[in-house]
Formats: sequence, structure tokens, C-alpha cells
Amino acid sequence: MSEQTTFDVIDSVLGLGAGSELKALREKRDKLKALTQSSYLAALRPKEPRNFPYALRAAIAARMCGLWKVDELAAHYRGLLEQEGATPELGNVADAGWTPGDAPSRLTAILRHVDLVTLKPKAATRANIEALYAAGLDDRDIVTLAGLIAFVNYQILVVAGLKMLRDN
Amino acid sequence: MTVVHDFTLEPLDWHPYVKTVELSQATPEQLDALKVTPSNTKVSAYVLVLAQEAETLAERTPLFNDIMYSEGGLSRGGRELGALAASFVNHCVYCAAVHANRYIQLEKRPEVVDEIYRSGLDADLPEYDQALFNFGVDLTAHPDNVGVYQFYHLREMGLDDLEILDLIHSVAIFGWANRLMHTLGEPHRKD
Repeated sequence: MSEQTTFDVIDSVLGLGAGSELKALREKRDKLKALTQSSYLAALRPKEPRNFPYALRAAIAARMCGLWKVDELAAHYRGLLEQEGATPELGNVADAGWTPGDAPSRLTAILRHVDLVTLKPKAATRANIEALYAAGLDDRDIVTLAGLIAFVNYQILVVAGLKMLRDN
Repeated sequence: MTVVHDFTLEPLDWHPYVKTVELSQATPEQLDALKVTPSNTKVSAYVLVLAQEAETLAERTPLFNDIMYSEGGLSRGGRELGALAASFVNHCVYCAAVHANRYIQLEKRPEVVDEIYRSGLDADLPEYDQALFNFGVDLTAHPDNVGVYQFYHLREMGLDDLEILDLIHSVAIFGWANRLMHTLGEPHRKD
């Protein structure tokens, strides 16, 4: 098996090596564990990145982890961003403390949606999807973005929950 | 056709805000991703929306099923309670209705669901259910600051590590599902 298929992001960010009890527990649900990792690859490194290049995906993921202050995972995504090709603009995207100006743009609309659906999904309405269409996103772009936001939030919750098992 | 904004146990239809994949025009990869859904008679609008990203859908469907239905560990009802806690925090009316009904079907204790529907996040439940529900609410609402008390409460109720792991995943997968279902469409009352 290649490095890509044996590496597990969650084990890695939680520092779970050989002999770790929590790693052994995760492996009792080996199918789920493998599908969590393959979902990560599908969200961050899909075969067809289309209008969401890998570097933008990594930057958005780092931002969401920063919004929830899940530092280990944020560090992973900042590292991934470096690997995929960081730019000053993407560095801003990855910084949860940075908000884009008021000038309407595709990136501004995307980040507003990322921040809302990460922190306060309850408040999302049809108007938020209309704003994405107005900024030039097409149907598939909207599903791509929703899928990336949803996956990374799942991963954030899993990491937060596993930390309680690791530390208590 | 009435849009539903409040939590309900009535049967609902989900209407997307974005286009669905037309089955007649689906690519082989999309058809393959669609095939693995549990409902093989009719493909839902929700799945046809997600099929636009077939690579993700193909992983997500078996992941969801394994989290909710795998053998051993936390009971099926316990996992539905985790799903319900997340769906209440995230106000996903559709997910809540489906999983509340499933909980009732599995556990035959409609009073637990009735109390959640009456009191929401302040629901006053039997102690075991309370521990699961509160943990799910806390993890969903602020993963950056989950009360250690909630975690110890699970231990006090006798949950072992595998059961806690299953609860974490059932809550987390609804952090995922709610962010799709509540943001990409809305529930309508079935006519």
C-alpha cells in the first residue's frame, strides 16, 4: 500500500502512534476510520478539483479549524496549504481572524458562507445560497463548497470528541 | 406545499435550492455513487443533489451507514439520540423529524422525544438519555469547549470507550448532514 492509503490525518494530528490505546480503539471501527480518511481525500484532493483548486480547499479548511480553535487540525491544513502552493491571499483565507472587505467578489461570498455554516448553520437560509449564485458560483460549485464545509466540520467534531477520550 | 420552519414529527419532503442530477444524464461515476444508497427503490432529491460531487458521495454513504448501523457498541437508539441532539442545535428540522421517528420506532419510548420536542435543548430526560443528549448538544454547539463534566457523565452512566466513540461519530456525522440538509434545501409538509 502506498503512503497515501496508510496515512491517517486524525491519528497524525492527535499524535496516536503504534501502541496508542485510542488508536487501537479507533481500529475497532476500521471501516469507519478508513472511510473518514477517504472522505478527507475526496474533499481536499478530489480527482477533479474544478473551480476549487487544492490550495483554496486547504486554506478554507484551515480557516474552519481556526474558527473552532482546533489548533492541531488547523496546523495540519496550514501545512497542506504550503504543500499545495500558498499565496498571500490564501494565507489570509486560512486566517480565521481575517475578514474580506465589503467589495463584492466570489471569494468574499465564499468566505461569508464558510464562516456562517461553520459557526452558525442554524441561521442559514435560501438567501445564503442565492448570494453564492449571485457571486458566480454554479450548482456544482455550491455542492462542492457545502461538501467541503460539512466534511471539515465533521472532522473537527471527531477530533474534539477523541481528545476527550485521549485526555480523560 | 408549505415550508416547515418549526420542529415536527410529521412526515416531510425535502426540496433543494440547487439543481439535482438528472438520472437520465448521470455519468457512470454518479450512477455508481447513487447505487450504494440504502433506499434502492427511489433515489431522493437529497442524494441527487449530492451526486454532483460523486467522488464525495461514494465515500459518504457507506460512512454514514457504518456510523449509524455497525454491530456492537452503542445501541441504535443511542446513536439516534446523538443525531437528534445535533439536529436540534443546528435546527435541521428534516433530520430531526427522521431521526426522532426512528428513535421512537427502535426504543418504543416516545416520551423521550416528546420532552425534547417540548423543551428543546433544555429537555429534562431520564439520566442515561440526558447524559447522551447533553454530550451531543455540547459537542455540536461548541466543539472548542466541550464540558468535561458531560464526558464524565457518560462514564458514570457506564458507557465504555467503544460506546463513547460511537456516540462521538453519530453526533459528528450530523454535524456533516445538518450542514448539507439545512443549508441546501428546506422541508415541506407532505400533501
